[in-house]
Amino acid sequence: MNIGWKEIKKNKSRFLILGSIVFLVSLLTMIISGLANGLSQDNAALIKDLPDGHFYMSEDAEETYNLSRIDTDVQNEIMNKHPDAVALSIQMGFLNDQDDKQQSVAFVTSTNSDLFEQVNKGEVIVDRSLKEKGIKTGDRLTNNQLRDELVIKGFVDQKKFSHAPVAYINMEDYKKMYNVEQMQIVFIPGEDSSESFTGLQSYSNKDFLSTIPSYNAEQMSLTMIVSFLIVISGMLFAIFFYMMNIQKIGLYGILKAIGIKTSRLFKMIWTQMFFITIIALTLSISLSHLFNLIAPKGMPFHLTIETTTQLSIIFLVVGFIGATLSGLQIRKIEPLRAIQQGED
Amino acid sequence: MTIFTLDEVEKIFTNGEIEENILKGISLSLKEGEITALVGTSGSGKSTLLTIAAGLQPASNGEVLFDGNNLTTMSAEQVRKIRAKEFGFVFQFAHLVPFLTVEEQLMLMLEVSGSTLSKKEQKNEVDQILDVIGMKHRKNAYPSSLSGGEKQRVAVARAIIHKPKVLFADEPTASLDSKRSKDMMELIRDLTKKMNITTLMVTHDEEMLSYVDRILQMSDGLVLESQ
Repeated sequence: MNIGWKEIKKNKSRFLILGSIVFLVSLLTMIISGLANGLSQDNAALIKDLPDGHFYMSEDAEETYNLSRIDTDVQNEIMNKHPDAVALSIQMGFLNDQDDKQQSVAFVTSTNSDLFEQVNKGEVIVDRSLKEKGIKTGDRLTNNQLRDELVIKGFVDQKKFSHAPVAYINMEDYKKMYNVEQMQIVFIPGEDSSESFTGLQSYSNKDFLSTIPSYNAEQMSLTMIVSFLIVISGMLFAIFFYMMNIQKIGLYGILKAIGIKTSRLFKMIWTQMFFITIIALTLSISLSHLFNLIAPKGMPFHLTIETTTQLSIIFLVVGFIGATLSGLQIRKIEPLRAIQQGED
Repeated sequence: MTIFTLDEVEKIFTNGEIEENILKGISLSLKEGEITALVGTSGSGKSTLLTIAAGLQPASNGEVLFDGNNLTTMSAEQVRKIRAKEFGFVFQFAHLVPFLTVEEQLMLMLEVSGSTLSKKEQKNEVDQILDVIGMKHRKNAYPSSLSGGEKQRVAVARAIIHKPKVLFADEPTASLDSKRSKDMMELIRDLTKKMNITTLMVTHDEEMLSYVDRILQMSDGLVLESQ
């Protein structure tokens, strides 16, 4: 007989209250995680979508990609040694559309590579978010630092950098716009460990993301919020079951007196915890993914199945720990105490 | 035939540096199918003696022998198994599980005692005992909808549904009025005699003593006389 389930059936409102709280906390956690991921994508999708590898910037750049300049000879040495390596540059800038409206973009250019869009001189491929602002294929855009016009060749999905849509331009156009000859960064995909190149400092993908201004601060704040929500949900379980257990000390004592194993009483609260959490999580996952579909287009919201799965597992583990901690008092309950005390 | 023996059982409680000897070397035997009442003033040690005999707390010294097993040398798990299978309990209050129906209370007890009966046989068993205690019509009721007397009858049914060898009853009529107390004692006597269950009962109520086979008068941690 599943006594845990019988108790839920009899005391629906009590468990409904706990379930509602867990549902609300988990929904809030999912939504904030979605926003954290969305902001992270909005800030660095260009980098996050790259395979694992190593980035190289000049040592004197002080971890700032804007200040980095890769020596051409060193770049050639790397490219000869690693044919799949790519040299790239990123600069924040503006494009003026046909109505002369200024659009903030992150200009990106690179050597020949499948990892970055390649365009001819005078062409540009931009993130699809600009399409929603009225820009179409074939539009001619201008830039204050470039005499020639740039023709929209196409759009790419979800390519953002520093909260701006990415604009892939040809290296010649880039050099003219920024009056530079050298690339800022070299990326070697698939490297397990970094290599040493003269005058260059290596960064893993994660380390490189940290060099993006505001990325770390933004992500840390959101991660802290998510962590707190998870801890709060664990505490909720512990407190709720603790309060329930306190009320049921007499009952547990009698059950122990008649011969029920302590382990069975633990199974009872675990069953209840898993039942409540799974229902609450199912609802919050469904709603948060629905929100993913209906969230306003301008809102950076990105919730993946992986994230929801991870959060669900964390919630179950935290709930399990909370319920178990509260249940530790069951072990100490003496049947005698229950017999000597009155009925509830 | 003797089924239960207490040999020189002592219980000493320590409170700081003060030692209190609650039981001062009690020896007694319970015969199979016999109803024995422990009577005495408050603090005489009768409830302590009952709980030690039932394996709910250990003795400080002495031996508790049940059906050839020495409870004092057994592990807690071994004692729990004996409690679940061989003992039945009725307390001053019914202490029913509030979220189980009358039928489920009894089914749970059968399950805990390790009954080998099939689910259908267990339900039949439950129906039979509910019939005997006159509660069959209330088998789907929860404890909150039962009267005090009904609850106590269910508690008695729970204590004997698994056919224990010994029934321990700690003031089973204390929460009932005079009429219901007599009904309850009649029920306990009829059922335990019918099922040949040995009963050890603590009571304050002298009226209940007419239902028992033997009375043990306790005072100050000793059994003074046996009637």
